[in-house]
Amino acid sequence: MEKMNKQKRLGIYKKMYIREKTNIKIMKIILCILLLFVLSGCFGGREINDLEIVIGMGVDKDENTGKILITAQIVKEQSAEKTVGGGGEDSKAFWNVSSTGDSIFDAVRQITHKTGNRLFVSHNQAVIFGNEVVTEGLQEYLDFFLRAHEMRPTALILVAEDRALDIMDAKPETEKFPAINIAKLVKTYGFTSHFYKVNMKDFASSLMSGTTAPVAPLVRISDDRECKDVYVSGMGVFKKGKMVGKLNDEEVRGLLWVLGKVKSGVIIVPAPSGQGSAVLEIMNAKSKVIPEIKDGKIVMNVKIRQESSLSEQTTSENLATISAFEKLQKAQEEIIRQEIMKAFDKSRELNADIFGFGEMLHKKYNNQWKSLKDNWDDIYPTIELNIDVETKILKTDLLKKPVLPGEGEK
Amino acid sequence: MSIEKGKVCSWQLLFLVAGFVQGSVLLIDFAVGITEHQTWMVILAGLVVSAPFILSYAVLAKRFQGMNVIQVNDLVYGRFLGKVVSVYYIFFYLMTLSFNIRDVGELYITFLMPDTPFIFLLIGFTATCAYAVYKGIEVLARVSHLFLITGMFVIISTFALLIDQMDFSNFLPLFELPFIRIFQGIHLMSAIPFGETIVFLMIIGSLNKTEHAIRNTFIGLLIGAISLLIVSVRNTAVLGKTQTIWTSTSFQSIRLIDIGTVLTRMDFLIGIAQTVLIFFKCSLFFYALAVAVAQLFGLKSYLPLVLPLAGIEVIIAATVFQSPVDHAGITQNAGIIYSAPLMFVIPPLTLLIAKIRGLPRHERGKDA
Amino acid sequence: MFRYILKKIRYLSLKNKNMFQDTMPEKSNSVPLVPELRKNLETIKGILRGSSDVTMHEFNFGHDRRFRGALVFINSMVDKEEIHKNILQPLMYDVLLLRNGVELDFTNIDTVRKNLIPITDNLKVTLLDDLMDNLLAGAVILLIDGSEEALVINLRKRESRSIEEPGTEAVVRGPREGFIENVNVNITLIRRKIKHPYLCVEKFVIGEKSKTDVYVIYLKNVANPKLIEEIRRRLSRIKIDAVLESGYIEQFIEDAPYSIFPTISNSEKPDKVVAKILEGRAAILADGTPFALVVPMVFIESFQSVEDYYARPFLASIMRLIRFLSYIISTLGPAIYVALTVFHQELIPTQLLISIAEGRERVPFPAILEASLMMFTFDILREAGVRLPKPVGQTVGIVGALVLGQASVEAGLISPIMVIVVSSTAIASFAVPAQTDSGTILRYIYLALAGIAGGFGVIMGLLATLIHLASLRSFGTPYLWPIAPLNLSALKDVFIRMPLWSMSKRPEAIIWDDGDSFSKSPGLMPSPCEKDNHDSD
Repeated sequence: MEKMNKQKRLGIYKKMYIREKTNIKIMKIILCILLLFVLSGCFGGREINDLEIVIGMGVDKDENTGKILITAQIVKEQSAEKTVGGGGEDSKAFWNVSSTGDSIFDAVRQITHKTGNRLFVSHNQAVIFGNEVVTEGLQEYLDFFLRAHEMRPTALILVAEDRALDIMDAKPETEKFPAINIAKLVKTYGFTSHFYKVNMKDFASSLMSGTTAPVAPLVRISDDRECKDVYVSGMGVFKKGKMVGKLNDEEVRGLLWVLGKVKSGVIIVPAPSGQGSAVLEIMNAKSKVIPEIKDGKIVMNVKIRQESSLSEQTTSENLATISAFEKLQKAQEEIIRQEIMKAFDKSRELNADIFGFGEMLHKKYNNQWKSLKDNWDDIYPTIELNIDVETKILKTDLLKKPVLPGEGEK
Repeated sequence: MSIEKGKVCSWQLLFLVAGFVQGSVLLIDFAVGITEHQTWMVILAGLVVSAPFILSYAVLAKRFQGMNVIQVNDLVYGRFLGKVVSVYYIFFYLMTLSFNIRDVGELYITFLMPDTPFIFLLIGFTATCAYAVYKGIEVLARVSHLFLITGMFVIISTFALLIDQMDFSNFLPLFELPFIRIFQGIHLMSAIPFGETIVFLMIIGSLNKTEHAIRNTFIGLLIGAISLLIVSVRNTAVLGKTQTIWTSTSFQSIRLIDIGTVLTRMDFLIGIAQTVLIFFKCSLFFYALAVAVAQLFGLKSYLPLVLPLAGIEVIIAATVFQSPVDHAGITQNAGIIYSAPLMFVIPPLTLLIAKIRGLPRHERGKDA
Repeated sequence: MFRYILKKIRYLSLKNKNMFQDTMPEKSNSVPLVPELRKNLETIKGILRGSSDVTMHEFNFGHDRRFRGALVFINSMVDKEEIHKNILQPLMYDVLLLRNGVELDFTNIDTVRKNLIPITDNLKVTLLDDLMDNLLAGAVILLIDGSEEALVINLRKRESRSIEEPGTEAVVRGPREGFIENVNVNITLIRRKIKHPYLCVEKFVIGEKSKTDVYVIYLKNVANPKLIEEIRRRLSRIKIDAVLESGYIEQFIEDAPYSIFPTISNSEKPDKVVAKILEGRAAILADGTPFALVVPMVFIESFQSVEDYYARPFLASIMRLIRFLSYIISTLGPAIYVALTVFHQELIPTQLLISIAEGRERVPFPAILEASLMMFTFDILREAGVRLPKPVGQTVGIVGALVLGQASVEAGLISPIMVIVVSSTAIASFAVPAQTDSGTILRYIYLALAGIAGGFGVIMGLLATLIHLASLRSFGTPYLWPIAPLNLSALKDVFIRMPLWSMSKRPEAIIWDDGDSFSKSPGLMPSPCEKDNHDSD
């Protein structure tokens, strides 16, 4: 009995001992964590107050020194309270701060002389390159925007028709910040399909291809009335990192038809009667490109399927009939074909493979590609395009017949 | 007899293996630079190549029930040679663990917290691993499926979020690269994500039932390989030509997520998933290392070794490479060469010798 | 290392000494009673050291008043009316009515008990020690000159509160009764719900001074016998002066005294306790407290409310998910805010970042300090609100809301977003009452980690918490069961609540999965008669 008790006691004691041991373990770990606390302190963090939030950047050449001129658009945080107090016209919510340097990073760091804080570029919406920069070559400038860890590959690329600095100064009416306004403009390209959203990764991706010519939307300031408005339209074409030409609205849409990136837009078709016109809204568009090598000749078969709706008509004839629809579809197909041809002609003129035909061939004819690759510049203009467009008009919106004077008296 | 008292269920092995392989998701970037858009192929080929070897680990463990590889080595190769082989294993565990710890540090330094001292990240991470190792393999096995689910959730959800940016023509042309690069890639793949499962030689011994060990190892391996495949396909389809230039392809592809300007900036997803998965992998490695060392020196418990080993690991991880460039270079070239015999020669050899000498039967007789 | 071992040895020997000291003073006054009344009374008087509330009433009884007896009791604890009616009257007067009363020998306690005492709750004792225990517990002791035995008659008078709705676990649908301080009533409440012979009630007396009655209640053949054995072992190890609340017991028998997570659950609601007993758990009830302990506890129990089972499963499932979400918010809310705004600003959407920056423009503190200040203030308010009388408590709330919400923001000390973060955290923390303790502590830990190492710190903290939770056990049951280790069939009742008829098994980890006890009586899915009754009529 006594022995049993003793054993029991020993068992209990053993349990307690083990428990105590784990306690020591836990204490040790807590000690380690405490040490970490003490040794480390608060590091690596930056309070939001200390951030200079950059929402847009512009890259130009300094006219006098030939150095790189960086403009960063920084959010002014105190703006919120000022606007509450009914701030004046010239109180801007942003601050465009510029600096020159030998490289982009150098210039960005130089900016700290003016801001007092390091720039925080994670929220950079768009990078605008000045005209001078792009004609000299973009490649060397791109590296920083891809490499810096704060930079996001979704930042948009734009090309200014003149200087990037001026575009960033134009204060929009509804948005507080020009850069965010520009990003918004670019992201809504789908309404007209007159330009296309290109971000850092897209640009780098086509740049890395040996044959494809990258494109980037153009931005300029329209001086219609007394106030300046930023206007995005058309695209610049790059070859070997340099901008070699520009596509106008029609040509861009031609390009987008082939790439299958047309989202919406307006096609104006002359009415079958010849008087006035029908305005069609693009609802949906798809494309398929099948490269083909026939007897050493390269033929690109482009198939386009498009659907649209009748959105407006300026002619007095009733277009909501089967025959009119057929005619409109025909005319629409022709217009699309023309747009594509215009883009293709322009690209041949620039000898820049904006469509990425080279890559398509590469993917399909891997063996022949090796020989084609080296003298692609010579081959590209000889490519034939075989365009097949099929369109449908799906609806006429709210009206079955046009509004005509005197029509109601019948 | 065994150092570890905790028991692992047979089906937990499945999750352990799958989670472990998934933990290598960061490491497929080593291969991307070599095999470009054919990485997915290389992953599959790597699986096919390494699967027989990995299954041989399971067979080995089944033969020597309830024993870890250090004990097996002593038994099969004799006292002296066995110790030599064991030291080789321990060296491999030691180095691979420190590489993996470094991976986490580099992940944070490069992408998430560039201003934080590197050594602090290493210490914090290793301390957490050490805590898990303290708690033993049973606890790790118990939570293994949570790690797998976390990883799977992130992998699949990011795949779904990026689906509109994918361009599947990026995989064309199917066969383009010279065979030597593919071969290099296969070697890399079979050695790094799959070959590292050699760590399970220390763990399968804790199984309570070895009945389904082989089947579960295989399924786990398959799940792991599928997740690597999904990641690889996602990255190639999204990034296309640019995938070779990024430090981390996964990170860049996640950064591209932009759905309705609301579902954007999802970096944290991949940050969490990768940290958690590498944590799981490192804990298993660390556990194997601690038990192996304790077994080698004939200690009764591995617990007193955990803290010193953690210190050693941090020091190695902090000093072994100068930069990610160094890291990638050595792992791609030297790293897989020193580990190759361990993964592809020794386990089958052990099995062969054991078979010839009829060892486990002898051992069982002694037990009974 | 060497010093470490030495320390261990020293510690070991110390522990040994303590063990023996603990066990030494055992039953020192277990002396038997003597057949002399005077002596016994004097001994009792000596032990009680002249306490003034002890009454020793000596009297003569029997047919010819030839027997001498004494009643000993503590004034305040007995019902005197009952003593007069049921002890003194029979002994002194009713005895005269007995036909053979003259022949009976009333020095024999048994004779007295059988013939004269009309009370069932009586007990014969021979040891002084037992006598004292009963006396102090409120019983009346009858001593008779010439007898070596004493009769303990239980005529305890006890003030107890009536059964009310418990304050802590209010329900919309479900029984409103709650446990009270009287353990006998509490046992009755449980017995009324389980009318089955398998229901076992085991009694323990714990507390060297308080001698508190502690009952372990479980269902035999359902509860794991190893569990019951373990409870017995742990309860018998408790050596403390007094058990004033079941929390005392909890702290001596829990598995992980250093963990911030509770491994023993408690409840004031009989229906909840009964539900758990039916699952194979054991309840521990202590006298003097309405809180019953239930072991083993698993983590997800904290997220289950009894009402989940009373309401239909659909909303119940959503509410359960909301509870999980609230726990996450309440522990991680401020930490994530700090990690995002201090370390990972690139993860915040641009517009939000700009408005946060504008809100924080005038705030002089770093975000971590701002968050801790707010959290401290909230915790102070909560504590103050709990302790103050109800009408004043409301004032505290109003003042707090004004000070916290408005003045500090207007003064530019706190940013408006921080107020939102902390207040939503505070509200969320009340959604899971069982884990309020751990939630509050974790909130501070995660906040510190986030302040030091941002997202990395938080992830490491979460991983450590997960490992810690998975390593815990409560009386042998893994704490994270059935999530880790995974049990698919038990997941029916974790994140969502499946219909009752689909849950036909008792929790596997809690009971011993051996035959009968694993499956409950099969619940059948409701299958209403296909035809409309009115039509067929």
